Amino acid sequence: MRTLVFIPAWNEADSVAAVIAGVRECLPDADVLVVDDGSGDETTARATEAGATVASLPFNQGLGAALQTGYLYALREGYDFCAHLDADGQHPPAEVARLLEEVRADRADLVIGSRYRERDGGGRGGGPGDDYKPTISRRIGTSVFRFFLTLATRQRFTDTTSGMRAANRRVMELFSENYSPDFAEIESLQLAVRQGLRVEEVPVRMLERTGGTSFLTPVRSAFFIFKGMIVLLVGQFRPRDAGAGR
Amino acid sequence: MIAAGLLAAAQDPKVHLTSQTRILAAVIAVAFMLMILELIRRDRLQERYSVVWFVAGLGMLAGAAFPGLLGLVADAMGVRDTNVALFSVILLLLLGLALNFSVIMSRQAAQITRLAQERALEKAREQAKSAENGGKPGSDASVRGTTAENDFGR
Repeated sequence: MRTLVFIPAWNEADSVAAVIAGVRECLPDADVLVVDDGSGDETTARATEAGATVASLPFNQGLGAALQTGYLYALREGYDFCAHLDADGQHPPAEVARLLEEVRADRADLVIGSRYRERDGGGRGGGPGDDYKPTISRRIGTSVFRFFLTLATRQRFTDTTSGMRAANRRVMELFSENYSPDFAEIESLQLAVRQGLRVEEVPVRMLERTGGTSFLTPVRSAFFIFKGMIVLLVGQFRPRDAGAGR
Repeated sequence: MIAAGLLAAAQDPKVHLTSQTRILAAVIAVAFMLMILELIRRDRLQERYSVVWFVAGLGMLAGAAFPGLLGLVADAMGVRDTNVALFSVILLLLLGLALNFSVIMSRQAAQITRLAQERALEKAREQAKSAENGGKPGSDASVRGTTAENDFGR
């Protein structure tokens, strides 16, 4: 059973090496791929030094395209499972290992790491988001998306924009052909549920970012939310088997 | 005087164009079509995107040659003022064209993305393979995954 952990990175030279080191420590059996989304800095060089394979996109194309590149690589190179996490250090690799356990045990096809979901029991303690303090605009966006995605999929999602996920080959096949470059996270969840895949959320701990700044400003957030609602609405009218059966 | 002219135009559905405007319109239409031809000849415009512009040029020419056509169009639309008919037809045409371009643009953006991904994957595969040969031999990773999954074109 081969596992690929891929890390989409755009100008994350400061933090990418530490993330790679963390993944290699927590998941020694997994291969690590960094998808450099047209960075203008030393991201590729740092990632290569840290021992990761690097797929460099020649120009910046957005998170969706970068993630799809990772899924494509996993599919083509015959990996059985794959997972991805952000390059900015917000996602502890140990939590990624927990997500992977879920897909390896075949309890789900796609597992999402959720910052907001309460842990059910277990001695890990702490309420939701004990280490994670979201900004107000992020909090508004989160609840709007949570509401509409739950409405659209009739399944409860708490962290719709989480960039920490684990998946098996069924998901790779779907996402390598159908992944919106614009609105990756939310639309992909809707798509996976509509295609009848088992999508599951697992509570995870996330940290404050160690490098870079969030791209969200209030105006951008509003635009982002508006766009997301349109995307979800359109997604509801997509044919169910689009691209899945080739 | 303007009001009287409008009243006349409203009551009389026939189109009144002076021969001067008709000649001007015809000249512009012909020049436009020549420009399209020249763009194709210089490889600045592909033939498949030029058809619609030729049709537009021919429409312009037809309007100049037979002004009565515009009256027919206005009648068919149930519009009394031929100017309104003219502008709505042109507006709809341009709207359709702009939408057409957005569709073409989206398709090309998707193609460019896939192209970039293929190139990135190719490089990553090379790097992984050379690392494998140098680092830890005995893995069979390079053989796998090269079978049926390479149908990236659609």
